[in-house]
Amino acid sequence: MKIRIVYFVFVMLASLTQSCRDPFEPELRETNLNFLVVEGFVEVEGESKIRLSRSTEVRSTEEPQIEIGARVFLTNGGIEFWDFQETESGTYSLTGSFDPNQNYQLGIWLSNGRQYLTEALEPIITPEIEELGYLRDEEGVEIFVSTKGNDEAQFFLWSYEEHWIFRPGVISFLIYESGGVRNRKEEERIDRCWNSNLFPKIVLQNSSRFEDNTILQRELVRIPNQSEKLTQKYSILVTQRAINQEAFDFWEILRKNSDDIGGIFSPLPSLIRSNIKNTVDDTEPVIGFISMGKSANKRIFISVEEFIPWPVFIPEYEFCQVLQDTIPPATDLISSAFSSGDRMPARALYNDMGALIGYLAAETRCTDCTLRGTNVKPDFWED
Amino acid sequence: MKSKIIWILWLSLTYSNLAFSQDSKIVEEKITGLYPGITFSRFAQIIESGSDYSFYFSQDDVKDIQVNISAKDNTLSQILGVIFEDTDLKFSIDEQRRVFITRNNRLNLELPADFFTKSLSSSIQDSLQRQMDIDRAYSRNKLYVIGTTGTQKEALLQGTITGLETGEPVFGAVVFERVNYTRGISNENGEYELRLPVGRHTLFIQNLGGFVEQRQISIQSDGILDIAIEENIISLSEVTVNSERMSNISRPEMGVQKLNMQEMRKIPAVLGEVDIIRSILTLPGVQTVGEASVGFNVRGGAADQNLILFNHSTIYNPSHLFGLFSAFNPDMVESVELYKAGIPVQYGGRLSSVLDVKAKYGDKEKIRVTGGIGLLTGRLTVEGPIGEKTSFIIGGRSTYSDWLLNLLEENTQLEGSNAAFYDLNFNFSHQFNDKNIIKFNSYTSSDNFRFDRDTTFRYDNLNFNLGWTHYFNERLEGELVFGRDNYEFGIEGRDNPSNSYDFGYQIKQDFIKVNFNYEYDFRHKLNFGASTIRYELRPGFIKPSGLESIVIPEEVNQEQALETAFYLGDNFEVNDQLTFGFGARYVLYQFLGPNTARIYQEGLPITPPNLIREQTFGSGETIQNYHGPEFRLSGRYILNNISSIKAGYNTGRQFIHLITNNAAIAPTDIWKLSDTNIKPQWGDQVSLGYYRNLKVDKYEFSIEAYHRSMRNLIDFRSGATLILNDKVEQAVLRTDGRAYGAEILLRKNTGKLNGWVSYTYSRSLLRTASEETAEKINNGDWYPNNFDQPHNVVLIGNYELSKRFSTSINANYNTGRPITFPVAKFNYGGSERVFFSDRNAYRIPDYFRIDLSFNIEGNHKVRKLAHSSWSVGVYNLLGRRNPYSVYFTPVNGILEGYQLSIFAQPIPFITYNFKI
Repeated sequence: MKIRIVYFVFVMLASLTQSCRDPFEPELRETNLNFLVVEGFVEVEGESKIRLSRSTEVRSTEEPQIEIGARVFLTNGGIEFWDFQETESGTYSLTGSFDPNQNYQLGIWLSNGRQYLTEALEPIITPEIEELGYLRDEEGVEIFVSTKGNDEAQFFLWSYEEHWIFRPGVISFLIYESGGVRNRKEEERIDRCWNSNLFPKIVLQNSSRFEDNTILQRELVRIPNQSEKLTQKYSILVTQRAINQEAFDFWEILRKNSDDIGGIFSPLPSLIRSNIKNTVDDTEPVIGFISMGKSANKRIFISVEEFIPWPVFIPEYEFCQVLQDTIPPATDLISSAFSSGDRMPARALYNDMGALIGYLAAETRCTDCTLRGTNVKPDFWED
Repeated sequence: MKSKIIWILWLSLTYSNLAFSQDSKIVEEKITGLYPGITFSRFAQIIESGSDYSFYFSQDDVKDIQVNISAKDNTLSQILGVIFEDTDLKFSIDEQRRVFITRNNRLNLELPADFFTKSLSSSIQDSLQRQMDIDRAYSRNKLYVIGTTGTQKEALLQGTITGLETGEPVFGAVVFERVNYTRGISNENGEYELRLPVGRHTLFIQNLGGFVEQRQISIQSDGILDIAIEENIISLSEVTVNSERMSNISRPEMGVQKLNMQEMRKIPAVLGEVDIIRSILTLPGVQTVGEASVGFNVRGGAADQNLILFNHSTIYNPSHLFGLFSAFNPDMVESVELYKAGIPVQYGGRLSSVLDVKAKYGDKEKIRVTGGIGLLTGRLTVEGPIGEKTSFIIGGRSTYSDWLLNLLEENTQLEGSNAAFYDLNFNFSHQFNDKNIIKFNSYTSSDNFRFDRDTTFRYDNLNFNLGWTHYFNERLEGELVFGRDNYEFGIEGRDNPSNSYDFGYQIKQDFIKVNFNYEYDFRHKLNFGASTIRYELRPGFIKPSGLESIVIPEEVNQEQALETAFYLGDNFEVNDQLTFGFGARYVLYQFLGPNTARIYQEGLPITPPNLIREQTFGSGETIQNYHGPEFRLSGRYILNNISSIKAGYNTGRQFIHLITNNAAIAPTDIWKLSDTNIKPQWGDQVSLGYYRNLKVDKYEFSIEAYHRSMRNLIDFRSGATLILNDKVEQAVLRTDGRAYGAEILLRKNTGKLNGWVSYTYSRSLLRTASEETAEKINNGDWYPNNFDQPHNVVLIGNYELSKRFSTSINANYNTGRPITFPVAKFNYGGSERVFFSDRNAYRIPDYFRIDLSFNIEGNHKVRKLAHSSWSVGVYNLLGRRNPYSVYFTPVNGILEGYQLSIFAQPIPFITYNFKI
């Protein structure tokens, strides 16, 4: 609500008083804005991933640098060491099983010789997700999670991955191939694809506000009406993690700093804290907060059948249609129509006698769903 | 003993030369005699019996004076000069050998040299107060018929002389008729009497300091003529400036700025209307975070550390339309005083300053109507007498149309938006008799904004109080005031029926205060009294609106508290040069139930895990007590006639805090009372000043330096949520504050070109308190406050081109205020995020603005329907795009910085004012 108020006041002032905005480029004093960014979660059971990257100057157009060739390890106070392997550039992975009653530290030795160490990590066992459900209302479908915290696990962070099937604007089972047109094989299908959203927002909730630490139907995702996500089938994998309060504050500030910055009445931006320190110079800014524990996962599938009718609107396909010109089935004509790749055969036309009289075309961007997704069924997908 | 007498004689001779040049043309009798250790009354008797002199004095004035003198062929002036040396008594001797002894000011028995030769002198024409001339001319030339025709040969004329603006009795004014030189002198209640032959007379009323008023009367029988006289006009206007100017040097307290309406009218205003808050922003040491922001910062103090009083009423939100207009109707205001350092002992409860806005109680002579119309608002004030003893003033102001908004709407998405406000004042005063006056003050204002069809903001002030002034005797005066102040803010959300809500908060305070002024003797002036305020706060609530709404009602616990203070102040005049002000207050504060107190583990950060227990208190139970003394000390030493030095030290406590994490005061900010966990703010200030007048008081120069320390200020933890937060203590950080600076003011008071230039250096810094462990902002180092603007230069210039046409210029430079910038970006949690610099490590660009205005007065004809004036001008003449705020928003994936300017172009304005 505050944001809304802020916005209105802002607009009000702006309009009432002939205000105007001009570009503003501050001169930054800081010469080094290349801070280490550490992201990840250390799992007590299973695979842990730590990503190392670097921040860039705020107006830079370059992609953030990845920190490669570092040594990342977990230690229980210097007694034992478990080293992470760099599985992709900048992503370090460790699979193992650790005693949740011990404290650990994550160490990072960069290739440039700088060394970092986290504060002690106290593993927190995340309670299971009690319910991952959904609800239809006027505005669409809401997906929610319910869980029950306890004295050790009060602050929850959810991340999730979404996958769904969508269909292109024009359905075609035909393929143009070396001057001819034939039916597509199963693996060549372009009429049905999977799309995904792997890094959506983070959802946070403090369970201590509720009786018995019970979080009931916390909204995670809202699928608005006409969303392509419910064209046919949708799946969501939710990872629930219990974290401590410092980590919770870190994520909350991160969210606030991104959501509303710098409006007339918007709150002052907050400093983000980190539990990672340079072992020599503890004033060096490091971005990130590493937590450790056992996370809980749950996946559900939602089928459109429950919500029929569910009209789908995909803006990219708004003006898609089968073109009306018939392309006779002559090799040279077919080639000239389809070899450029702009168009694809969409329909085969037959006369009353069942003889092929030609093809109708459609634009490729309307027909080929792989341009927006993949036609490879994900491993976990259940039909 | 003998040598002492001789020494006195010598002194008296020199003294008489200095002090008595004006009366030297009167040939004085020589007096010889020994007056050993007798009272002054006795001395007077002796002189009266042995000479032609007759004495006029008040027993009270002279009761402490012992005469111990041996005179040999001395004049009476010499003798009196010695007797009254080192006292504040003055004497005058007229041609009839009458000796008038008065306190502080000499009774001026002389008429100005040109008195009989000019009626409307050129100095009158020169006056800034042409408006007043018209009214005066009216009273001057009107024939007042007194009494009914009878057989009397002589009639007794009685009446009261009051100040036209203040309504207060004028003491020591001489009323005389010039044919026979019959005279009367008003006493401390302003009363005079005069015995005159029946018939027509021209009465002259001369106030101390030499300005003359006149009345045409035709007296038939005994009767009454009350006269209201201007205290600061025309010939007087220069005198007043002088006295004010001298007061700059001689008044014991420092850090006091006074503005009267005349001065404020000359400052170009943003939308053509005289604006009190904007006017005080031109004074050294007063700053604001930006245009269109509510509130102001005094000497590095936060906006909530200013006590804003409007005739005893505390105004929590002193502005309309988010700061575009100040809440005070200019026609209602008599004068404004801002106390930056030497806060008088009767005020308390805020750390930084007291802005005392004095409203009028209405003209005592005749009904007047004043008003004006500007681009957005219109205003109308009616004042006048009801009977002889009562006067009233009623004034209102309102936006008359939101055409301006509609005009702008065409290019914006603001369909269905509107903005409107009004304010109303009603004051009256009634004089029961010489000793008892009651005064009633009331003020209400309301602001409404709707930004789209479904969200309405609203805030309302409602204040009223009743005061009773009683004069116990000549030396003791008491005032009892009680009243209520109410401030409410609300948002009505009507987005759709299912989430319609009402959000709001409210401050209500009932107060009663009693204040006494007591002139113990000529050296000690005491000021003492007590005050108590009962607060009732609803710090925030949200409730559903309509049957369909599913909004869950939520309310932060109401808060109650009682703040009581006892105080005693003494203005001690050691001698003519040296004066001290001593003041002490003792403040008691109780945070009262019903409420729930949360007790946290001592020494650990105030976070949920460290909550030990919650304790519920019933209605009226004391949850938390705070109490402590406050001190107000000041000293002044006059170096010579034209310069003085002053020093001051004061402390203060503040129990109500504005909870905001914006730089400006935003409508959604709430006030919070001190409770178990939020300690009262404490602050002190040391200040030192040097004052000097140059070129025979043409210029006035002052420099003041100060240092303030503050404890228990509130800053916010990273990520704090403040709205509807029942546990605000978990969102705030205990913070120390420090502010220091210097203010230099050079002012030219007289001449066609007048005005002032001021430079202020001021720093305001914060540091997370050492005992605060929850979070250390900027590693626990000092960091600039949101409104830390080190350099500030203001120039106000007025130039009178002709009698009717004057022009004013206002130039203003400020260092940009601090801001926290996003400096780096990084990917985290799947999104691009920004990394901010240390808190307030950067500044927005500097601020510079010039305004220009012209005032055109109507003609000077005495008889016409209304006196009118036009004010036209341009705000932000240079059209400089001064940034109000800087913000960052992603454009094509890159975080771009923008600066938002509110008044980005020159804004012309025009206002028509009239007075009937």
